[in-house]
Amino acid sequence: MSPAGCAHVNAYKVDNWRQNLRVIYQCFVWSGSAETRRRKAKSCICHMCGAHLNRLHSCLSCVFFGCFTKKHIHEHAKNKRHNLAIDLLYGGIYCFVCQDYIYDKEMEQIAKEEQRKAWKLQGVGEKYSTWEPTKRELELLRHNPKRRKITTNCTIGLRGLINLGNTCFMNCIVQALTHTPLLRDFFLSDRHKCEMQSNSCLVCEMSQLFQEFYSGHRWPHIPFRLLHLVWTHARHLAGYEQQDAHEFLIAALDVLHRHCKGDTTRDDNGKKANNPNHCSCIIDQIFTGGLQSDVTCQVCHGVSTTIDPFWDISLDLPGSSTPFWPLSPGGDGSTVNGESHLSGATTLTDCLRRFTRPEHLGSSAKIKCGGCHSYQESTKQLTMKKLPIVACFHLKRFEHSAKLRRKITTYVSFPLELDMTPFIASSKESRMNGQYQQTVEVLNNDNKYSLFNSPRSLSVCCGGVGILCLTLHGLCLCVSCGGADIICLTVCVLWWSRYSLFNCLCVVVEQVFSV
Amino acid sequence: MSKDSQMRAAINQKLIEMGERDRLKELLRAKLVECGWKDQLKAHCKDVIREKGLEHITVEDLVAEITPKGRALVPDSVKKELLQRIKTFLAQHSTL
Repeated sequence: MSPAGCAHVNAYKVDNWRQNLRVIYQCFVWSGSAETRRRKAKSCICHMCGAHLNRLHSCLSCVFFGCFTKKHIHEHAKNKRHNLAIDLLYGGIYCFVCQDYIYDKEMEQIAKEEQRKAWKLQGVGEKYSTWEPTKRELELLRHNPKRRKITTNCTIGLRGLINLGNTCFMNCIVQALTHTPLLRDFFLSDRHKCEMQSNSCLVCEMSQLFQEFYSGHRWPHIPFRLLHLVWTHARHLAGYEQQDAHEFLIAALDVLHRHCKGDTTRDDNGKKANNPNHCSCIIDQIFTGGLQSDVTCQVCHGVSTTIDPFWDISLDLPGSSTPFWPLSPGGDGSTVNGESHLSGATTLTDCLRRFTRPEHLGSSAKIKCGGCHSYQESTKQLTMKKLPIVACFHLKRFEHSAKLRRKITTYVSFPLELDMTPFIASSKESRMNGQYQQTVEVLNNDNKYSLFNSPRSLSVCCGGVGILCLTLHGLCLCVSCGGADIICLTVCVLWWSRYSLFNCLCVVVEQVFSV
Repeated sequence: MSKDSQMRAAINQKLIEMGERDRLKELLRAKLVECGWKDQLKAHCKDVIREKGLEHITVEDLVAEITPKGRALVPDSVKKELLQRIKTFLAQHSTL
């Protein structure tokens, strides 16, 4: 079966065949618009028996639909000598003379394009399609015959990290980043094109790190180059002091984002999209979300909206000196996301609810209203306008007030699956309009997140502090004791994640509890 | 056409018109991949091809062999969920 199809296909390729084929695809196979759908609904039945099942095929040379299973289309093909028909379910082209489905390159191309168009019209966007190697890729594969197979229970991609002196904050974030599926895929497919002249590109170093992690070596890796680069680019993190993991995450993302300049996609004219508000580097694609802030004037009820990009959401915790919104009464809150509300434990959803509640800005913080042109009291509300692919939540455990700096040790439970639908901007709008929003069936569960990473810190009784990073693929523990002796334990426990790899939730938590 | 098949055709038309059929197809595809049905059936296909021989196999053979197995292997939970979706859809668009 050659990609050039069969001789009978070549007989079909006359006149305006391309356009005719496109019309058939658009109207009867992959109907994107409402009109084509209506037409498809009415007309796609067998001309002989009226059934719509039985693998309906459409003749390519005339307007005839027939069942394949009942051989109605075969009869038509014989009588009219129309040799080709198209499967209306999957778009495959059948030749009655060769008695087989044939694969003509040009027709396949048209089919793919029409399918993509229909997906776009349906609002689905791009969908996964299997990889088809190009000539060059086939060449490369033949020249490099060594293959590495990843089975369900292999440990490829897991590696311990040596603590270089209170660097557990860095190690746990590095573990979290190396387990981020999209980031991993970006680096393992060599997508970074470095444009930095010096050797100090952090993205290149990350790339190296992924190679180390996936090398199959079992001994712990020493990330001294990474540490050095971080110190170079984020001076405030340099030194052997214990640092804040969340701060490191933000600094790392920032440096990676800046060094990714060579990878920003080019627009149609080949010019680089260098708009700082619209960066399309991998970091922004994965981590950037949009936070909508609505300020409502209490007098004229005019709303002023701003949308700011964010990489993480910092959540207040109960136990801080600012008052915490109480848990919502009744059944509405307690079973959301399957979190346990045993003994009144705070959940991540509670923190999010508090974060997105309307806040009355007092009389000392009047905003100038654009509607009534005067300073008025207002309420402010934060909601999610655009959800990032990986959501990072930061629980603000350190409270800095005028008098003290203390750590809030309230236990916060978080779920394995989180539905962000109640916190997105459009939910709030429909609630305000009085419509109770039923669970909207979005084609691909856009607002649901599943947990895959959770760095937590663990305090060891001899005075040192370690940070533990839990991932759904493994458990890595880095402990430093006392500073002088650096001990690194790598414990690998595997349990397989059954959640989808997109929409991952990364919770950066610093919970100190004594062991 | 019997009353049954008339109803079936009418429901099908409604599903296509509202775009629900495409959504259901997508949901079904995702569920079947998730539960491993696709991989099982793919393995079965390979077995059939090996048995019959690559040179002699036809589409008809494959369809005849794998259709009953494919139908049997669909998990009950998936069937239930799709049925529920269709019922909900019909309830909402009850002009039928």
